[in-house]
Amino acid sequence: MCDRPWETMTDADFEAMLARSVPDVPPEEIVAEVTPWRRAMNRILFGMALCAVTLNFWCLNYILPAIGTVLLLLGFRTLRRENRWLGGCFAVTVIRAVYFFATLVLNTTILQSAVFTPAVTTALTAVNAVLLLGLYFCFWRGLLAVQKKAGLPAQAGGALALIVWYALVCVLAAVHYTGWIVPIAMLVGYGCILRSLCRLSGALDEAGYAIAPQPVRVTDRCLVLVIAAVLGIGCTLGYLFGGSYRMDWQPVDTSAQAQTETIRQQLLDLGFPEEVLDDLTPEDIAACDGALRVVAVTEDHPFNDGRTVSYKESDGEGGVVSVLDTVYDVRELRLTSVGVQLPGAQETWMVFHHFLWTTDPGFCGTEVLQIWPADENMQDGWRFAGDVTGRVLYDRDGQTFTASYHTLGRQTYTADSVFFGQRTNSDLFAAFSLPRHGEHARGYVAYTAAAVQSGCLLNSWINYTHQQSWLQYPAVTAQTHRMTCTQSNGGAFRTVQDALQFYPADGQLLR
Amino acid sequence: MIAQLLQKDERGMEALLLHYGPLMRYIIAPILPDPQDREECLSEVSMRVWSRIAQFDPVRGSWNAWLTAVTRNTALNFQRSVQHHSSVQSIPEGTPAPGASPEEAMLRAERSAALHDALARLGQNDRALFYRKYYYLQSTAQIAAELGMTARAVEGRLYRLKKQLRRMLGGEGHV
Repeated sequence: MCDRPWETMTDADFEAMLARSVPDVPPEEIVAEVTPWRRAMNRILFGMALCAVTLNFWCLNYILPAIGTVLLLLGFRTLRRENRWLGGCFAVTVIRAVYFFATLVLNTTILQSAVFTPAVTTALTAVNAVLLLGLYFCFWRGLLAVQKKAGLPAQAGGALALIVWYALVCVLAAVHYTGWIVPIAMLVGYGCILRSLCRLSGALDEAGYAIAPQPVRVTDRCLVLVIAAVLGIGCTLGYLFGGSYRMDWQPVDTSAQAQTETIRQQLLDLGFPEEVLDDLTPEDIAACDGALRVVAVTEDHPFNDGRTVSYKESDGEGGVVSVLDTVYDVRELRLTSVGVQLPGAQETWMVFHHFLWTTDPGFCGTEVLQIWPADENMQDGWRFAGDVTGRVLYDRDGQTFTASYHTLGRQTYTADSVFFGQRTNSDLFAAFSLPRHGEHARGYVAYTAAAVQSGCLLNSWINYTHQQSWLQYPAVTAQTHRMTCTQSNGGAFRTVQDALQFYPADGQLLR
Repeated sequence: MIAQLLQKDERGMEALLLHYGPLMRYIIAPILPDPQDREECLSEVSMRVWSRIAQFDPVRGSWNAWLTAVTRNTALNFQRSVQHHSSVQSIPEGTPAPGASPEEAMLRAERSAALHDALARLGQNDRALFYRKYYYLQSTAQIAAELGMTARAVEGRLYRLKKQLRRMLGGEGHV
């Protein structure tokens, strides 16, 4: 034994001195904390609470369950060898964690909408519900087993109530219950159950001293860091490589252009814009053979916020008014719409909607052209008379490359609109991604409309939706955004709109 | 239960063993490795609680804290008596002495006070780790399992903790 002062003690003496100098009665917080049970139970209860919370803002519907899942993993990992039921809880938690974290990563890619089809989502929801009920059943039996081992009377009503509560939630979801009263009652009930479980956890502290946590090879902190790192890397890779379509870019074959030279000249003579004509496929040019008339309109659209200017102008009554206006110094996207009247007994027009990026488009995620065709806008006057065609192009080092659209065709979908309410639309969509290194990115979509009755306005609209940023979660394509969002300019996307509107009788544009 | 124990009602003893048996076993286990010694010690703790229940003052501390102290002290005494009888192993240096001279007692009181001040300045996690190691006498493996750490990580933390305590107590040279 050593009674030398602290500073002159050897390491062994110092350690012995520490052991001799501890107080006889430990502090209250230490007594409460030194138990093999409470830490794990607190994590499990917090985890359950966080996993059940769904707050649909600031991504909390993903963040809170992610934290809850990690807490459940850590909690059940400590208790996994205590009895087979708690081991079952750990196994189910691992399965659910793998599924949940894989979903979180998948949500950073546009693949998620392809993977999680309605059928897959329904199946996964059902499996998840079964796993969840299994988890709570194992948890209930595990608590009973812990009490039995400690020789205490069995009481784990809170855990049993949790099973009933989740079963009710599943039933409400299955019947698509949309009311408010039952969910509010369920929420209150859930709070009561968690309170009951907290009390139960306190009561189980006595039994908890009987459990023996298993040694771990990887620390809790290390496990959390690994999960965070895997999620971080997975999400980064997802945003980097899973945010755009794979396009099959090929050099343009210029030899075929010569075969359509005569038709090209006819079209140019009729006023077809040359920069649009240069981008058409030989098949589309050939389809315009014998064209009778051409109507074209071009307008540049900004994809920036512009700058605000104020100036004073006359109000027309001798006074002066201040005017605030937005001025766009750069208009990045040029939209050109062309109508070509084709020869034949029935009046038929081939409509071209062309776009051209005059500057670097910035972020290259997904883009979509949504066409409201003439037959959709005026069903009595026009009918759809042919396939939708088109392609995308860009230049690089003096060479032009082209690719087919990732998807091109008519899509029928139901949309909510502020003005029209819920309605089913059938529009033409051309989805694509732009190359990261290239210039003069451009493309077009063409379709044919035949007159059902003469004298009707030919009214064809183009909506170009551009992805401006990678920052969106879950990641959706421009097309999905366009089909599901009521706001055209929100989040990572921005849409510009233009139209080709004229009366075929005189070919006069409406503007 | 406490009221029953105070009235020397045997049902209090049954309740004590039923509800606090796991806690007492948990405290005894790291001190006494032999299962038979543990059971004998548990009986001794029960008897000590029975005989000294009047000393429990809820104002000075909780029932769990008092029971923890009684159980630990009884287990340490039991360990000493077992080692004294067997005379095979020497008593570990960290084990408190059964009796101390007035000088030693005063010195120990001073060091306890200094250590108490130093512990108060530690973070909650470090303080709990200290008590697990030096009060509950838990093995590194047990601490590691209960805290979800590896034994090596616990040893590392204990090393840093000792270094910090030595610094706080005014002697940095030997660690």
